Amino acid sequence: MLRSRRSFFEIVAGGQTDADVRLWLAARGHEEYQAQATQAADAPRRPKPVPPGVKEIRISSNENPLGPGRAVLDAIVRQFPEAGRYPFNATPGDGALASAIATSYGVKPENIVLGAGSQELLKSAVRAFTSPGKGLVTGSPSFENCPNIAKRLGHPVVEIKVDSAMRLNLDAMATAASGAGLVFLCNPNNPTATVHGASAVEDFVRRVRSASPDTVILIDEAYHDYVTDPSYKTAVPLAMRTPNVFVTRTFSKAYGMAGLRVGYAIGATDTMKPLHRLRMPYNISVFGVTAAIAALNDAKHIEQERARNTDVRQFTVKALDDLGCKSSDSHCNFLFVDVGRPAADFRDACAEQGIVVGRDFPPFDKTHARISLGTMDEMKKATAVFRTVLRPVTTTANRL
Amino acid sequence: MALSRRGFVHTVGIGAAAAWVGARGREHSIWSAFEPVLQAVEPGTIVLASNENPLGPGKTVMKAVRAAFGDGGRNPGRYSGSAGELTDAVAKRLGVKPENVVLGCGSTQILRSATHLFTAKDKPLVGTIPTYEECAGYAEMMGHPVRPVALDSEFRIDLGKFADAAKGAGLVFYCNPNNPTATYVGAKATRDFLAKVNRESPDTTILVDEAYYDYVTDPDHDTHIAVAIDNPRVIVARTFSKAYGMAGLRMGYAVGHVDTIKKMREWEGSGGAGYLNVLAIHAGLAAIQQDASFLTAERARNAASRDFTMKWFEERGMKPTASQANFMFVNIGRPAKDFRDACRAKGVLVARDFPPFEKTHCRIAFGTMDEMKKAVAVFGQVLGKTAATAA
Repeated sequence: MLRSRRSFFEIVAGGQTDADVRLWLAARGHEEYQAQATQAADAPRRPKPVPPGVKEIRISSNENPLGPGRAVLDAIVRQFPEAGRYPFNATPGDGALASAIATSYGVKPENIVLGAGSQELLKSAVRAFTSPGKGLVTGSPSFENCPNIAKRLGHPVVEIKVDSAMRLNLDAMATAASGAGLVFLCNPNNPTATVHGASAVEDFVRRVRSASPDTVILIDEAYHDYVTDPSYKTAVPLAMRTPNVFVTRTFSKAYGMAGLRVGYAIGATDTMKPLHRLRMPYNISVFGVTAAIAALNDAKHIEQERARNTDVRQFTVKALDDLGCKSSDSHCNFLFVDVGRPAADFRDACAEQGIVVGRDFPPFDKTHARISLGTMDEMKKATAVFRTVLRPVTTTANRL
Repeated sequence: MALSRRGFVHTVGIGAAAAWVGARGREHSIWSAFEPVLQAVEPGTIVLASNENPLGPGKTVMKAVRAAFGDGGRNPGRYSGSAGELTDAVAKRLGVKPENVVLGCGSTQILRSATHLFTAKDKPLVGTIPTYEECAGYAEMMGHPVRPVALDSEFRIDLGKFADAAKGAGLVFYCNPNNPTATYVGAKATRDFLAKVNRESPDTTILVDEAYYDYVTDPDHDTHIAVAIDNPRVIVARTFSKAYGMAGLRMGYAVGHVDTIKKMREWEGSGGAGYLNVLAIHAGLAAIQQDASFLTAERARNAASRDFTMKWFEERGMKPTASQANFMFVNIGRPAKDFRDACRAKGVLVARDFPPFEKTHCRIAFGTMDEMKKAVAVFGQVLGKTAATAA
């Protein structure tokens, strides 16, 4: 039965219950959990739960609301008979995934390091390239993973505030990078959703390298597949020809595989060696391996996902604009929006009506919220809630 | 291959210590990306190389994996928030508090966390030669010293020598049953050992790896979880990769004192949950909650394969160690590599080299009875004269 090649939907149809779905909808996701755990000591307050009986729409963790494509689901189900095999004994093995990724870029497997999500790679990078004397340079706000690890290790962290357009301040970051161990350049940037074009990134890399050639530059392209700015290009070719520069990618976003934990780093052979050394053996499950290979072979699915997200993005940006709430120029599957009030107030008011939006992002936690983009249907419901939540303050403001 | 050797063996030094680290590395080299061809297993191969449960996780668990897709297959797109549920379920099954449990991406993550936290440049890792190499490999990578201890003549942990070596150490890796030798130290002797190390070297942490716990048939058998939850210097590691048949899913856990577990959670971040995939979490939930008869049946199935295979070798004058696991370590009187290559050519995959015994001993995992009947036929052909004479 499990060895059958029947498709995912035929097999799943029988096994799924309402209880399973409820269980899943109740799950909050570890990105939130991680942030909460990290902030626990100084958390201003815990997020309000969605009231019982209210259907939840989770737009808090920048996930693909549709999950993986059909080809990926079918590949996982076909792999059920291999559940008991270590990833290096299964067919395909984890080495085959590294090879498949390498082939897709025209590089060698040694240029690829697999991670249990890009999270493992960010952790390895901070461990490998920073020290008590050589710190981390990152944006503020930006993805918190690297600074969290550096702080846990007691390595210095320099956080450079984004510019007035919510873009990473490349000038200031390049200056701060001099003598640093590692620069974390999240492009597009989470949570501000803005992107820098290829020439700006190249200039940044050239500038850092001329002043500080030993500084390693990590360019996190987690949201690469959602960018629609024509001036943007991946930094992978730049990384391949430039020492001490590498790119991280993840299957958690456009590929819809956040729950499966697959990411990778790509760069020149010497740059990747410390990351290979730190890689946890058998870090990706047999299902993650086979799913990622199937995903790489389904380029059309990513094109469709980008188009779908772009439509939803335009709709949501306009709906919030109409409420007087301006978003930064998003090239991601989420928005960073000036809601004109503390994110915590907005978040709790939305949660009352079943809409779960993103956590606090200091230093903008008093004015801005991060809102992930769900399906068009979900965003129609969410923006209807935003209208009720955001209106009273507007009214008060008008009266004053 | 050359890269793998160079990458792995460099700082430990000469002789026994270098031998421990070994030519090939752990179950799988950290340089895996360089060796994709070496890992590929041809379809139809009988895999007896990695101490897996040949039947996999079983229907109950796979049904839970299927259900975890939920909502039209959308759920794998979500970051899982269910690690806490699995932590609770594991704690409940073991009769401990959730704060006594931390999950890991296989026990690999657990072994690495413990080595990271409890060894240092002046606090060595202590382990037997041979044993499972993850802790030693990681300590070596961190530049922390490794102190190897020889086994006794029956390939068992030499508790006296081990306790002596533990003095002043950061972490003792106590793998019981021991991989790759399959030998087992009884519950009372282990408890005495833990107490002795604790008394003589109070700052030393002992990691008791119970990966093969469910396969033990020796009546003097018990878990050391009760010691661990009371003693901040004792940690028990467990995995779903062996008897539970989930090696492909990547899920393991540690049980210990609240303070020790807290340190491990903090070092890993996200309470250790960031590397855990959602299908493994739901598989783990189903596995730990299923009826205990699953493990009883798997233990009995393995014991039958074990007895059959050990008898086959014994009858041919090749002595296996006293296996209490789902694999055996047997003196085949020739280099493991020659045996392995010849078996592989005939569709049977046995384990890698385990120095310092790679010239005489081979580790063979137990497959299903049907697989073992086919495998011994191949072993008979490969071992040729020895086997034929005895038969």
